[in-house]
Amino acid sequence: MTTPNTAENLFRDIDTVNPVMPYLRQDRIPHIWCPGCGIGTTVNCFTRALTESGMDLDQIVVVSGIGCTGRVAGYLNLDSFHTTHGRAIPFATGLKLANPKLKVVVYSGDGDLAAIGGNHLVHAARRNMDLMVICVNNFTYGMTGGQVAPTTPLGARLSTMPYGNYDPPFNLPFLADACGAAYVARWTVFHVRQLAKSMLEGLRKKGFVFIEALSPCPTLYLRRNKRGEGVDELKYYKQNSIIKHGADTKEVGLTFDGKIVVGKFIDRERPTWLNAMNEHLTQQLGGKYTPYGG
Amino acid sequence: MGDSTTASRPGKGTVFVRSEICKGCSFCVDFCPTDCLSFSTEFNPKGYHFPVLSAPEACTGCDLCGLYCPDFAIYGERWKDIDERKAKGRPQPVPEPAAPAPVKPAWGTLVPTDPRGVLTGLHFMDGDHATCEGAIAAGCRFAAGYPITPSTEVVERFAARIPVVGGLFIQMEDELASSIAVQGAAWGGKKTLSVTSGPGFSLMMEHIGLAAVTETPGVWVNVQRGGPSTGLPTLPGQADMMQAKWGSHGDYEIIALVPNSPQECFDLMIKAFNLSEVYRCPVMFMMDEVVGHMVERVEIPPAERIQVVPRRLTTKPKGEYLPFATTSEDLVPEMTVAGAGHRIHVTGLTHDERGYPAMNAAAQDKMVTRLVRKIRDHADALVDVREHYLDDAEIVVVSYGITSRIAKSAVDDARARGLRVGHLRLRIVWPFPAARIRALCQHAKAFLVPELNMGQVVLEIERVVAGQAKVIGIPHAGGSVHEPDAILKKIIEATQ
Repeated sequence: MTTPNTAENLFRDIDTVNPVMPYLRQDRIPHIWCPGCGIGTTVNCFTRALTESGMDLDQIVVVSGIGCTGRVAGYLNLDSFHTTHGRAIPFATGLKLANPKLKVVVYSGDGDLAAIGGNHLVHAARRNMDLMVICVNNFTYGMTGGQVAPTTPLGARLSTMPYGNYDPPFNLPFLADACGAAYVARWTVFHVRQLAKSMLEGLRKKGFVFIEALSPCPTLYLRRNKRGEGVDELKYYKQNSIIKHGADTKEVGLTFDGKIVVGKFIDRERPTWLNAMNEHLTQQLGGKYTPYGG
Repeated sequence: MGDSTTASRPGKGTVFVRSEICKGCSFCVDFCPTDCLSFSTEFNPKGYHFPVLSAPEACTGCDLCGLYCPDFAIYGERWKDIDERKAKGRPQPVPEPAAPAPVKPAWGTLVPTDPRGVLTGLHFMDGDHATCEGAIAAGCRFAAGYPITPSTEVVERFAARIPVVGGLFIQMEDELASSIAVQGAAWGGKKTLSVTSGPGFSLMMEHIGLAAVTETPGVWVNVQRGGPSTGLPTLPGQADMMQAKWGSHGDYEIIALVPNSPQECFDLMIKAFNLSEVYRCPVMFMMDEVVGHMVERVEIPPAERIQVVPRRLTTKPKGEYLPFATTSEDLVPEMTVAGAGHRIHVTGLTHDERGYPAMNAAAQDKMVTRLVRKIRDHADALVDVREHYLDDAEIVVVSYGITSRIAKSAVDDARARGLRVGHLRLRIVWPFPAARIRALCQHAKAFLVPELNMGQVVLEIERVVAGQAKVIGIPHAGGSVHEPDAILKKIIEATQ
């Protein structure tokens, strides 16, 4: 097999319609993610949710930060913005408020969203900003070589925790819930159909949506912790996940080798930031105020 | 695989594999609910074994493999669906409606501003408030900020005024957030304003780099106070002038304007927004605490006399627009907004004309060269200075912002004493008016440069003068302004 690995050749025999293809910038495939990485799987789920939603794809925008998952924006054939490290949410906030007709999806990793971008995550949830955040959590910084993340379970070994992690991790669904997110769910990349369904619900939900997708990083997290290949981690997810919709998010923290509670934890109604602003200013300013619509 | 003849249809469905891009992760093989997949003995060009349908009779075409595959290399389909799809034929692309004739005026054309929110008339207001009025009059409809003295009055006024004008203000959680929220809003179609002072300006530096490389228009106000660090929150400084030019990492160019009165805060703010649209670069509005807080007469003209530059939105049809493509004559690309159907990708990585990441020296050279050339090549068009008594000046005092008002009085004083002194006031400091300074070297024997810092713009003048005249800085650490006599004394010394 000596076919040159060009985009043209890659697609030469594809007379078929892989459902993910229309959503990808095909001239950028194959992607940079490692064998056995789960980020691509979450992208499949996202594209199935997009199909199911029936939404106008021109009105859907993906915003990413920096890191492995941050590269999602560059592969999706949607309006997409690859911003700075940690700042996808405030960029998305500005974009959504400038044009509220857009559906703005933040697609990024745990380090980007919960460490350097943690402040923005909590404030966007507090505001109930109408954004859908997909947080692919692989428990480490993949792009930079496997350092400890704010999600790394205690005891796990990483390049900057060579003797095992003693830095307590976030329980991200609890964080998002406590800050006021309208919708909070967690799945793993083993739970592809459930993850796709949550993404669909997230696309349809008004308000701040936080979906955590646990995903293997075989090159760094799994290798350093002798957890096998990506597929082994999916089997671990399969064996150790407990589906518990409506679980108390306080109780869903993750450990190095314990059970994983997954499910839709929170689905509540709260006024979005923009609705609250429009309602309040209409009340205060009366006829002088025209509700803001972009 | 994928052979649709009836004879080869042992199962209810089949799979299609793009073996070239498979990375052999085994997700599909391990999680196939009917165990119909296994690995090939062959390698693909990348050296991976890829899946094959080894038990076709068991395949239901459920596409769980497709849902799992992180490399988009496999998918399954039921024969029934395949037949239906084939009967319908390949989906014909829906023809795009013809591109509408450009309704926007040609790029660079000035049009009267949106009259909403223009407070035409005479006012008595401070520089911060006048800055806000200038922004609204320029068509700014989105501001994000974070409270910081002595700049906060700008956004306080914006928050009060914008709801009835038809726009939006959001106080973000910090300056990192406000300085990128405005960029999201710019790609949502708004003209945007971000306002801060010293410490906040430092936090915003990362996003000035992002705005420079993604060519996102917007105006960034820095009401300068004494630094470094928390410094003198309520007292003036001009020590962020070099930061405005060099503060973010990497090579890029910006434009920086410096008003010296509330009236100029209004007038130059309009210009700042216009330049930001013309050049698609961050435009810095470098005020200082005294200009921000001094209250003076401000005349706001009728809206029809306020000329603004509309955003240059592409009129190219979908699929033909390259967001970072330019021509040799025109170094600034056309813009679009999110939601227009162009499916743009915008990244802070080095990118090509499509906006795609391009990690190589050639792409870096092309992109960075254009980013700096689009400003440097227009430096002459961007000269904005005010000159007094320069025709025969042997001594030239160069100043900007609040310092220019003190310098002007010292120069007037020196003229009254018969000294051949002139004054050059910079209203645009970056790009630097090098050609004008060089021309002045023909008869000037010395340049005096008072500024509220320990020597910043004076360095640029030294560079440009290149030894043809003396260059004397008059530093001041900030916290107050120069005494006019201190400048006069230096003028007298320079004449001797």
